[in-house]
This record gives sequence, structure tokens and C-alpha cells, in this order.
Amino acid sequence: MMRINCSGCSLLCDDILVNTNGTIIEQVIGACKKGKQRMDQLNAKNRIISPMIRKNKELQKVSWEEALNKVKEIVKNSSKPLLYGFSTTSCEAQLKGLELAKRINGFIDSNSIICQGKVLNAAKDSGITLTTLAEIINKADLLILWGANIADSIPRLLNKALFSRGKFRLTGREIKTIIIIDPIKTASFEVMQMRDTALYIQSDKDIDLIRFLKEKISTSKEISENKIAGLDKEDLKRLIINLTNAEYGVIFVGQGLLRPNPEYNVLKELIELVRVINSKNEKGRISLTLLGGHYNMIGFEHVSLSFYGKNHSLQFSDNILIKTSDTIVSKVANDDFDCSIIVGTDPISNFPYFLSNKLASKPLILIDNKKSATMEVADVFLPSSLTGIECDGLAYRFDHVPIQLKKILNPPNGVLSDEEILNNIIKKINNK
Amino acid sequence: MEIYPFLPKTNCKKCGYPTCMAFALALLQGKAKVDDCTPLIDEKKYKENHEKLKELMGGAEGKEKELHIDVDKDLCDGCGICVTACPVNARYCLPTLSGKAPDYPPEKHQLFQVTDGKCELLDLKSCRRIEAEGRERECTVCENYCPRKAIKINYV
Repeated sequence: MMRINCSGCSLLCDDILVNTNGTIIEQVIGACKKGKQRMDQLNAKNRIISPMIRKNKELQKVSWEEALNKVKEIVKNSSKPLLYGFSTTSCEAQLKGLELAKRINGFIDSNSIICQGKVLNAAKDSGITLTTLAEIINKADLLILWGANIADSIPRLLNKALFSRGKFRLTGREIKTIIIIDPIKTASFEVMQMRDTALYIQSDKDIDLIRFLKEKISTSKEISENKIAGLDKEDLKRLIINLTNAEYGVIFVGQGLLRPNPEYNVLKELIELVRVINSKNEKGRISLTLLGGHYNMIGFEHVSLSFYGKNHSLQFSDNILIKTSDTIVSKVANDDFDCSIIVGTDPISNFPYFLSNKLASKPLILIDNKKSATMEVADVFLPSSLTGIECDGLAYRFDHVPIQLKKILNPPNGVLSDEEILNNIIKKINNK
Repeated sequence: MEIYPFLPKTNCKKCGYPTCMAFALALLQGKAKVDDCTPLIDEKKYKENHEKLKELMGGAEGKEKELHIDVDKDLCDGCGICVTACPVNARYCLPTLSGKAPDYPPEKHQLFQVTDGKCELLDLKSCRRIEAEGRERECTVCENYCPRKAIKINYV
């Protein structure tokens, strides 16, 4: 039995025990269904372990030398390459990806620009108060899920945040309060007990609730309206009392708050609301937490910010970083590229049709470990190994804490890690 | 429980148990009979309740029943809330206090363990419903706190 760090989601649990016989994993103790699915990917039916090139509209197995030569040919014939993905790879591979983009004058971006990266971008002017998992376990007594369904996306987070008995909360579940704000009933509502509140807010009316709370908390006036965004007066009173009397509160920001709007910015107003609550709360404070699906989405922001000075959407030209206001969405929508390299993600099934159509019409190179919709339109496929099981790497948790992932098994014959593949591409392009 | 609403709920102690709730539990476990509650037979207003109770219990009165805790493997998603919330686990396995998974091999008194992404019941002997005394025998923490409603307690 050996102890490993799971790489199923962005919680990166470090209390998992596995039993192996040298080639496969036989028994897993402590991991949820997402972790078990990640361990099963080793010998899954849709795993592909040899490089492939598309000839006569069919993908055929080839050697590494031939596949890398084809990659070099595609990149040399293009002047505006695009690199995308990098949220399921280690930090070392992300650094190699940035080096490759600089070498070929490309545009590089990661999954966080369409996900939790929006919250960090909204905090550029004013700053943001974040918290870590150890503080949530030991100190939190108020949890608010705003547009998030944790029971389905990160199953063990409810276990660790709500039911644990931390150092200052030894009584456990009975002393903690949870408030869920969501338009429909989801699986997370099943954990609510007597003192918790369920707020069924109207769709797309979060901005009304935020502005109402900011006004009432900063001026301490009586509530005169009957309904705000579909919520009753009694529920709103309870929410305000909970927010201003909590000793340590945490707001989990989910996908429900990330829809963009041209008239206002919901995330900037939410950060301002947290600042107002903290100035009125005498006993304690409230913090924000961001959630993520892939296990190293935050890592790309740290790596690119430390080494190149910008945390998203980097455009290189003549070996230097130039100023741009484009993102991956605007680049693809305006047809401003002529080939793409996709690493560890599946944009053909996740993007809307008018974007994935344009991606599929140009040459596409895919670095992944399984069969997916993107593989059906790719011109070159390079197989990679699983980080955290078959190769080493560094990853960042959802609360910005770095965790080291270790290797416990050897990958199948001929399969390399993401970092080695990107390094081989750079060496091939540098050779005359 | 379906038995408790039909009892007098006066806690008169004529059956020998301290509360009506304790008598209902003893009925479930087969340690008492419906006729032990004398107010049900003596007073006229409880006649309907008496017949309903006799019907509910059927022919299984007085036979010793065993505790069964069933985990539905199709509904379970491996979140581990039962491992953290169970008071027996919290007393004997130190890592569960901060939400972590307990060590392997499991402790002598550990009840729940998450194996291969599903919850597994290890050893029923240490459950509070069998060993403890007083109000602790009515412990329903694992059944109440499971978000997928995959754990069921029944007597067979």
C-alpha cells in the first residue's frame, strides 16, 4: 500500500492509498468516483498509445520520427499558430509550452480564460481576499454556495468543509451554517438541516441581490421592499444577520456567476460587496474561494505571470511579448490563425459550433491520452502519459497551494510525458 | 419510524421502558410485545391505534431481530461523508477529524471505509445502535447525512 496525491479534480487530495502489482492499480482506498475514474484511465478502452497521422482522410499509426516531421512541416508553413489547453498538464510542461510559443511566434492561452480566470481578472484593480483549505476546515462556520453545485463537481469538498471537526470547530456539523443560492434544486441541497437556508433566486438576477445587500449593510436601514430577485423579506433578513455576525465565512463562486454581461460586471461588484461586509463585521471576516474542474488550471496563471509578466492570452512576435487585447475566443471567431496545437483538452465538444467549426477547418495537432471528438478532426496525434501516476510534476490546488505529484508506475512502451513531447518539438524545429 | 405515532406518547412507564420512543425501539427489535403497553388495551380512545399496531407488527412480534445497514452501490458516489460523520469513526480514527481518509489496515472499531469509489461497511459490531445506552441507541447519523440517500437502517 502506498500513499499518492490524486489528480482527479482541483482538490488534489493527499490521503489516498493504492495497491499496485507493477503494471496496473488494483485497489484504491479513500478516493471518490472522480479519483477512481482517473486511476481507471490507465488501461481504459479509449486509451491510445501510439502516434498517428491522417493520410487519405484516415488516421494511421506511424513512428515518432515521422509524426514529429509532420508537426515541423505544419508549423513551418504557418505564420499565426495558436496554442490552447494546458490545464491538465504539469507546471513544467506549461513552461515548455510558453517556450514553444515564443519560438514559433504564436498565441498561447489556457482553459482558465473561459472559467475561473475571469474572477482573478476582475480583481486586478482592487485586490481580492482568498482563503486556504486548512483555514476552512479549522475555522469556518458559514459557507455560502453561490451558483455552485459542489456535491456533483467536487464530491469530497463538502466532506472536508462541512462535516469535519477542525481545531476550533470540534462539534462539527451542528455548529456550521450553509446557505445555497441557486435557481433550481441541485444535489447539494440534500445536506441542509434546520438552521440552513435555501434561496431560490431568479435566473440572472444576482446583480440585484448584490446591490441590495451592499446598500442595506452599509447604511443599516430597515428593509422596505417585499421581494428582491424572487426572495422573501424573512430570508433576506436572515442572510444579512448571518453575513454580519459570522466569525469566518467563505463564499464559493461557481459557474452560475460567470456569465458575461455588457452593461455591468457581476464579479467586480461581488468583490466590492465582500469589502463592505468586512468593514461592518466586528467579530470576523468573509473570504472568497474559486473552484475549478481540471487539476492544474491555476498553475498556468502562476507560471506565465512569474516568467513572462502576464497571466493569460500571451501573443509573441519576434521573440518578445507584445500587447494585445485578444483572447482565444476572439482569435478563433475572427479567423485570425492558420494552425493550432491543442494540449490535454477537448475544444471540439466544449466550444459552440461556430467556433469549433473554424478550429476544425485548419490543421490541428493534438497531444492527449485518449480518443475524443477533437481526435476525429486532428491531423497529427501524439500520445502522452498521465501526470500523477506515470510521471512527475507540480500542480496548484484550487486555493493556490502547490502540491508535488509523484510517479508510481511506468507508462506504456513508447508513450512520453507532455514535457518531453513539447521539448522534442522545440528541438525538431531548431534543427536545420 | 412508523410505530411511534400510534403510541399514547405519555411516557407513563407502565410497559417497563422509560419513554414511548424506547418502547417503540424495543418493539422493532423484537424485545417487547404490543400488549405490554397496558393503556392501549384499557382506554377506549386507543382502540384504533391498538388494532393498527397489531396489523403493522404482523406475526413478527417477540422474535429477536437483527440490525442491518444497507449501502446502495448504484447511488453512492464515494464522497466519504459517512466516514467523517460517524461518531464511532470520529472517536477511534484520528485522521477523520479533519476530513481525511483513515489509514489501512482499518482500526478495530472503524465502521465505514471508501473502497474503489464506493462506501463499504466493515464491521457492524461497533455500531452505536448495538453497544451504547440511553439516547445514543437511536443514532441515525449515517442515514440522515448521506446526500444521495444511499444508506438505509432496518431490522430484519
